[in-house]
Amino acid sequence: MASSATATDMAATATSPARNALWRALTGRRGLGKLLLLAMIAAVLVPFAASRWGSGAWPGALTVDLSGPLGQASNWIIDNRDTHPLFLYFFGWISEGVIVAVRAVYLLLLALGWTGVTAAASLLAWRVAGLRVALTALASFAVCGVLGMWVPTMQTLALMAAAVAASVVVGALLGLAAGLSERTYRALRPVLDTMQVLPAFAYLLPVVLIFGIGVPAAVLATVVYAAPPMARLTALGLRDADHGVLEAVTSLGATARQRLLTARLPLARRELLLGFNQTIMMALSMAVIASVIGAGGLGDRVYQALSTVDVGSALAAGIPIVLLAVVMDRTTAAAGTRIGEEPSGPRWSYGWQAWAGVAAVTAAAVAAGRAASSLTWPGSWMVTIAAPVNSAVGWMTSHLYSGVPVIGGTADWAGHFTTWILDPLRSGLTALPWWAVLLIVAALAWLIGTWRTALTAAVSMAVIGVLGVWSISMDTLSQVLAAVAVTLALGFAVAVAAARSRRVEALIRPVLDVLQTMPQFVYLIPVVALFGAGRAPAVAAAVAYALPAVIRITAQGLRQVDPAALEAARSLGASGAQQLRQVQLPLARPALLLAVNQGVVLVLAVVIIGGMVGGGALGYNVVYGLAQGDLATGLVAGAAIVCLGLMLDRVTQPSSDQAGKER
Amino acid sequence: MSAPVFSVHNLWKVFGPKAKADRVPGSDAADLTADQLRKNTGCTVAVRDVSFDVLAGEVFVVMGLSGSGKSTLVRCLTRLIEPTAGEIAIDGEDVRSMDRARLRDLRRHRASMVFQHFGLLPHRTVLDNVAYGLEIQGAGKAQRRARAAEMVEKVGLAGLEGRRPGQLSGGQQQRVGLARALAVDPEVLLFDEPFSALDPLIRRDMQEEVVRLHHDEGRTMVFITHDLGEALRIGDRIALMRDGRIVQCGTPEEIVGSPADDYVRDFVRDVPREQVLTVRRAMRPADAGEADAGPALAPSTLVSDAIEAVARTGGPARVVDGGRCLGVVDHERLLAVVAGLPLTGAAA
Ligand SMILES: Nc1ncnc2c1ncn2[C@@H]1O[C@H](COP(=O)(O)OP(=O)(O)OP(=O)(O)O)[C@@H](O)[C@H]1O
Ligand SMILES: [Mg+2]
Repeated sequence: MASSATATDMAATATSPARNALWRALTGRRGLGKLLLLAMIAAVLVPFAASRWGSGAWPGALTVDLSGPLGQASNWIIDNRDTHPLFLYFFGWISEGVIVAVRAVYLLLLALGWTGVTAAASLLAWRVAGLRVALTALASFAVCGVLGMWVPTMQTLALMAAAVAASVVVGALLGLAAGLSERTYRALRPVLDTMQVLPAFAYLLPVVLIFGIGVPAAVLATVVYAAPPMARLTALGLRDADHGVLEAVTSLGATARQRLLTARLPLARRELLLGFNQTIMMALSMAVIASVIGAGGLGDRVYQALSTVDVGSALAAGIPIVLLAVVMDRTTAAAGTRIGEEPSGPRWSYGWQAWAGVAAVTAAAVAAGRAASSLTWPGSWMVTIAAPVNSAVGWMTSHLYSGVPVIGGTADWAGHFTTWILDPLRSGLTALPWWAVLLIVAALAWLIGTWRTALTAAVSMAVIGVLGVWSISMDTLSQVLAAVAVTLALGFAVAVAAARSRRVEALIRPVLDVLQTMPQFVYLIPVVALFGAGRAPAVAAAVAYALPAVIRITAQGLRQVDPAALEAARSLGASGAQQLRQVQLPLARPALLLAVNQGVVLVLAVVIIGGMVGGGALGYNVVYGLAQGDLATGLVAGAAIVCLGLMLDRVTQPSSDQAGKER
Repeated sequence: MSAPVFSVHNLWKVFGPKAKADRVPGSDAADLTADQLRKNTGCTVAVRDVSFDVLAGEVFVVMGLSGSGKSTLVRCLTRLIEPTAGEIAIDGEDVRSMDRARLRDLRRHRASMVFQHFGLLPHRTVLDNVAYGLEIQGAGKAQRRARAAEMVEKVGLAGLEGRRPGQLSGGQQQRVGLARALAVDPEVLLFDEPFSALDPLIRRDMQEEVVRLHHDEGRTMVFITHDLGEALRIGDRIALMRDGRIVQCGTPEEIVGSPADDYVRDFVRDVPREQVLTVRRAMRPADAGEADAGPALAPSTLVSDAIEAVARTGGPARVVDGGRCLGVVDHERLLAVVAGLPLTGAAA
């Protein structure tokens, strides 16, 4: 999901001017100058601030309690939802429209029956992506049925279909505007970039505030989350269209419309499909998470099961999610890579004949299903895995959780991790004077970017303080830092191995492929099974989620190091380790920094979700706010998440500014 | 010959912020060096006070080194690049004052362009690429396909109609580009270094193709190149550009035979002059008695051919036009041409 977006970013990062500028900023006198300047500013301001407000956690005098006004606002909205014209004639209509659309798709899916849906999905996959993906689709839908998840799967599909359609339309329109107008692009780009780094949870509260908990809120949150990649890639594709071709088209007298329809859009097909792919994957990810605001379907099953630590049921609903993700990703990705290929095979297997065949077979499947009056998956073909899984987990709990000789148990590890790493980190962060935190954040961001980056980062941090959630945010931050450290250590190690040996690479590639398609939410299931609930499992889920992207980016960066430079080093007699340390790592620096940035962003997303399995902190506040109808608490936490996301992105994103200038 | 198709007067193109660029033509700033101008105003002068006529039916070649403003000049003709100052007329009609519809009409029917990097639509087949110009004019599918098939045949790509540009070699792609330009039956063909991305051998092929096309159809062509050999081979007249200015404009023979300045002289130094210059330029007035004896040559005979005739007979050859003797060429004159010595006392 996130990886494809980063691949394009990476191309921008890898340009050598940016690298040089960064190199200078980190090592040269410019970096030192910035630090000195910051130190001077600090020397003036800190004593004043410290004497006035003290040096502990964020001073109470500087906080603003928003719960009153926010609570009032939310009450006002609830009271007026049925009467105020804004709701009656605008939000009301949107909400109605969403409900009707989702309902319609859902009824259609049910009417097609399990035979029809399975046939249609497999045949579609066959047409677009070939036989292998078609068989995967067939097997996947069968498994959904066997696990007894047919109806929730259809609910999730219906919700996604509506959300994806809306996201694609909204994203494509925004992308079109940005692709055709430089000014719109400049205005839109920072917004899209920022949305890309915000955790899914940040989007939930505002839509709930307006639409209340339910399907409309879930769909709209999904649209907001999933539309940016479509917009981004549409704009990118339109802007990067080959100028020579466009000029030739103009020279033949094409009108602006003809130019767009016959040249620009077709030239951007690959990007459009990539955008579609990313939008679908993001939509699935969000549609599952949105179960906390009433999305229903598979996500809801997982959510309910996890809240009672019923790992078996969670797994039964989690497997279909993963399968759906894999099928959708492979299908849309294949559509992208197959562009421009000549059709091959017998005549009936492509063109309109093939589509007619697809329609005919689907119709036959529907008819067969109806004739056998079997619309939802037959109960006798179901297998209940919840009980066996739960007994397996029970066995694990009693045998592997603790007391295993020598290595200890998983719960022991989690406990140790919490006691020895998370707790000290959290108390350390909380004990840091608030101004010191601001200074560190500013220094990091400034070293790596411009004064503007530093200001954004520091202000984001200050806003967290002002909102009055300083210490909870420090808790979240401590989990993020711990998870990032583990992710990077593991990720770099694996990446180095993968970059040096083709065999290792071939071994881990399929694993990474699957891991990268899995929605965030699903990662919570195995960690709860392994470690129970708590902060350590949240961190473990975050590590598992961020690891694939970090490995991939790093390995790619290491492998792309100029072979000539390596050759030269080898000819000078450098050993393997020397090559790695002195040539590969320095040259792959941009990729490594990008990996850090991505790692941080992805880790944050899951650490926040970890609030649902005992991770506490900001994520818990959001869930709590939603569950208790205390929107003020949730909204404040959501805002803090946004600020934390912004801050973490800015202190780890070296190239954004330089790359921006180059474009 | 005939009336000019394109008539260009005092054309300027200055790249840069519009307000500043508009003020450069004719001002003192125009005389600064490129670097200084860029430093002072942020502008680049690509075409500088250029005037020329392209006559109906001729191949007009614009030649110059990289960066001399050739591409910019040819794009100004159909306003793919908006000129900064000056006049352009096509068949007497002012191009710069055309509104959008007129301009589109000009591009659709009167002047088509062939590009260095082909500019083909990668998602369309060869046939659909060739038919593209007709398609955007609104021609019916059957009609445009028939016409496109004809053009594909004409440029020698028959059998490859169903391929996509990515599956063709560079030379084949450029043939598609050529067919696409020809399909709309334009009055003028504009070429912007069409063959410089091709291998020398293929380039030679394509040049012959263009010569043949011109011979068959007599279509007016404006041909941009940085290759002197190519210019001499296909050009009826050549304009030589340097730093946005035309430094000399004339027939290949005039350019090679009497370079306007040292720059041009340098440019044409390595040209095999005997293969460009004709005896009209090499001859001297006939001395008494010479006007009646010796082999007769037409004035357009190349010096290289005259050498053969003179060597065979051993004496001077006469240059005869319509029965009248214009002058003679002898060993001395012919050797002077080959050696690149100045020719003194040329006949009228
Ligand atoms: N869009 C532009 N903006 C600014 N300057 C430009 C632009 N296009 C061309 N120039 C400048 O105008 C000058 C002439 O460029 P032009 O492309 O016409 O040269 P050319 O003779 O076609 O060269 P080549 O043989 O390399 O194609 C160059 O100095 C170039 O840098
Ligand atoms: Mg050029």
